[in-house]
Amino acid sequence: MSELLHFSEHTLQEAALLFMGAVYVTRLYWITRRKAGRERQAPTGTGSLDPKGSIVYSWANVAMPWSMESTRRKWFLYVQFVAFHLGVVAAIGLSFVIPYGPGILETPGVVPVLQIVIGAAFLVGVGRIIRRIASKYMRAISSPDDYFSLVLLTAWFAFAFLAVPNDTSGGEWPLLTFFLLTAFFLVYVPFSKISHYLYYPFTRYYLGKTLGRRGVYPVRKARQHAG
Amino acid sequence: MNNSSRSYKAQRVIDRMDKKLNRQMLTSLLACVHCGMCTDACHYVLANPGDPTYAPSYKADQIRKFFKRHYDWTGRVLPWWVKAKSLYTDEELEELKDTVFGKCTNCRRCTLNCPMGVDYATFNRMARGLLVSVGIMPEGVAVVSKDQWEIGNQMGVLKEDYIDTLEWLSDELEEEFGDPRARIPIDLENANIVYSINPREVKYDPRTISDAARIFYLAGESWTMPSEGWDMTNFGLFSGDDDLGGAVGRRLFEKVSELGGKKLVISECGHGYRSTRCEAQNWAGWDVDFEMESSVITMLRYISEGRITVDKSKNQSPVTFHDSCNNARSCGLTEEPRQLLNLVVEDFREMYPNRAENYCCTGGGGAMSMSEYTPRRLKSAKIKADQLKATGAEYVCTSCHNCVDGLTDLIRHYKLGMKVTQLVNLVAEALVVPEVVAVPSVEIPEVAAAGVLAGHSVLVVDDEPDFVVYVSTLLEDNGAAVHRAFSGEEALRLAAEHQPDLITLDISMPGMSGQEVFERLREDKSLREVPICIITGQPELRKLIYDRPHRAPEGFLSKPIDEEQLILNVRKVLKIPHEKESPKTESSEAKKGV
Repeated sequence: MSELLHFSEHTLQEAALLFMGAVYVTRLYWITRRKAGRERQAPTGTGSLDPKGSIVYSWANVAMPWSMESTRRKWFLYVQFVAFHLGVVAAIGLSFVIPYGPGILETPGVVPVLQIVIGAAFLVGVGRIIRRIASKYMRAISSPDDYFSLVLLTAWFAFAFLAVPNDTSGGEWPLLTFFLLTAFFLVYVPFSKISHYLYYPFTRYYLGKTLGRRGVYPVRKARQHAG
Repeated sequence: MNNSSRSYKAQRVIDRMDKKLNRQMLTSLLACVHCGMCTDACHYVLANPGDPTYAPSYKADQIRKFFKRHYDWTGRVLPWWVKAKSLYTDEELEELKDTVFGKCTNCRRCTLNCPMGVDYATFNRMARGLLVSVGIMPEGVAVVSKDQWEIGNQMGVLKEDYIDTLEWLSDELEEEFGDPRARIPIDLENANIVYSINPREVKYDPRTISDAARIFYLAGESWTMPSEGWDMTNFGLFSGDDDLGGAVGRRLFEKVSELGGKKLVISECGHGYRSTRCEAQNWAGWDVDFEMESSVITMLRYISEGRITVDKSKNQSPVTFHDSCNNARSCGLTEEPRQLLNLVVEDFREMYPNRAENYCCTGGGGAMSMSEYTPRRLKSAKIKADQLKATGAEYVCTSCHNCVDGLTDLIRHYKLGMKVTQLVNLVAEALVVPEVVAVPSVEIPEVAAAGVLAGHSVLVVDDEPDFVVYVSTLLEDNGAAVHRAFSGEEALRLAAEHQPDLITLDISMPGMSGQEVFERLREDKSLREVPICIITGQPELRKLIYDRPHRAPEGFLSKPIDEEQLILNVRKVLKIPHEKESPKTESSEAKKGV
């Protein structure tokens, strides 16, 4: 392993992680300095969950495609969403496994499974780029950050796919590029839309709290017939 | 950024935004990933294919862009990278007004379909509030807000008119049941229930009040209606003005406390229920110490407790139910209306989708008061019209007065031939009156055969010939002698010549305007006592009349109008009680109901 690759896998990643952590801590401090709106009213609605249950329901909403009309109707987009985010988890995991636990990759089946997951995410990423460019609606709501983040992630998947075997016999460039991209990501993410996962617990927490107290959550599915 | 190049109003909007950014609002503004999953959730999008400016995330970005420019790190350093842009001119504020008032009814359907939990409806309301704070809002919003601030209710109903209406309805009830206790108690202290209503009920639909009164009477309820602080609607919800919202809520809560009421019952109104039951306490910073419930729940309880008996065979026609957005998506009131409907109608048909997934009536969010957006609203109503049509029902029932107006308008526009009703009407129709309640046999007065308005003359003034013919025909069918005037000058001449009992007057007319006619009539010694009912297609112009230093008009109606509205209002203005009504209303048609 070259010094550059070792530096990229360790020192660079650790520094980038520290930077991202520091930015996120500052961001969280900024958010929590704002007061949370208070709900004074008595609970309403029939069959409402207790507040904690509603919040858990809201957090789990993303894993319950049947709970929202949008995910029910656009099930193919939902499947893409799942594949894409599984790929993210796999690629992030890979960025830790290669430097700190490369032995895991020697377990039979791990490399192909990771490659399938990350490869699928790459294909979804390509599909998402096309959708964002081709759809009038998507173009209208997209900023340069939206395009850049998507292209960057998709490219990252591609190099993660190549990096999975952790094999430098054919050259270090796939691994090196993957880790350089990962480091760039860690620095860039807090300033881009990719940091949405930082806000998800908040938006979902408060929506769950409010709509649970008002008996809206869990949403009752629209029935076709009366009765 | 050069602050000196920014208009005063734009600067104030930006300054005031900071106060609005609580944790929920802040994270909702930060969290959107532009995934587009909300797009198809919006009825505006569905009715305007190919126009992305209606997409919820696009509309949200019109607010988000100046938030980002001032609060988001990337937006402050590299604004173009995240499409951040500050507000500089009053024209930009007007464009924002068009988006937040004219392209969204705050129905919250997109919120429930957002995987991230971004509550666009809430920050759209915030943006409305920011604009309102610098005087930028649709004219109708300004007029209604002013009425609610100054007069205490959103339709500018004067206290004497309100009390008059209740007394008139009480007389009818007393007559109907032959029982002096069958009246609407006003300001009764320590009652179990304080009943609050929508001013629309006083103005256009007093039958909903008398139907509720029948139910309370037959249930043997200890109830009252306050003489003041009775308006449970709250334009603060629509305008985003938390101060107005809090003031309106306080007015109501203070009255209930003053009367020692044990429970505040809110009549059927989606935004009124949401505002009063769920929001006003937050806006007013007031923890109320009494219970509040929707009249839907009250009626259901009366039936389940056996306090009233209903017979669903009295409502034979097919009925579908429209869930009000505020009830369903912000208050969880979806099952009780259905339980009640199944008890009082024979043929209840669900429209699809329903409950929290129902589409807006398109009149929500104060849209009915914003006449400048009417064509856009009616176009977007195609989605609702298709939903209604697919049910094959004759009646659409809804627990919201705003929805009643929105649905009535779209049913007329799309020629669906359906009728709109409310649960209180259906329950009242289905009531089984116990024998112990003496109901007098109905004598047919001589005058009834000639029509309820027989013996009264009405001067109809409007520059639209079709409208004059329409109104005249309705009045003549009900027995009135009608004179027609197509201009202000002609109106004054005919008024002097015939001394009518009532004048219906349009505001916007070429030549001498309705405002001028109104002033001239009020200044004329021989005509100043003649009651006037304004009928206008531009309700935002009514301040031209109401701001005059003259006695206010006795009646006010917004076009379009229907027969029931018109006759009810004319009877109210002319103080014609029910006994003059034709027997069909007393015995057959009204009781047959739907």
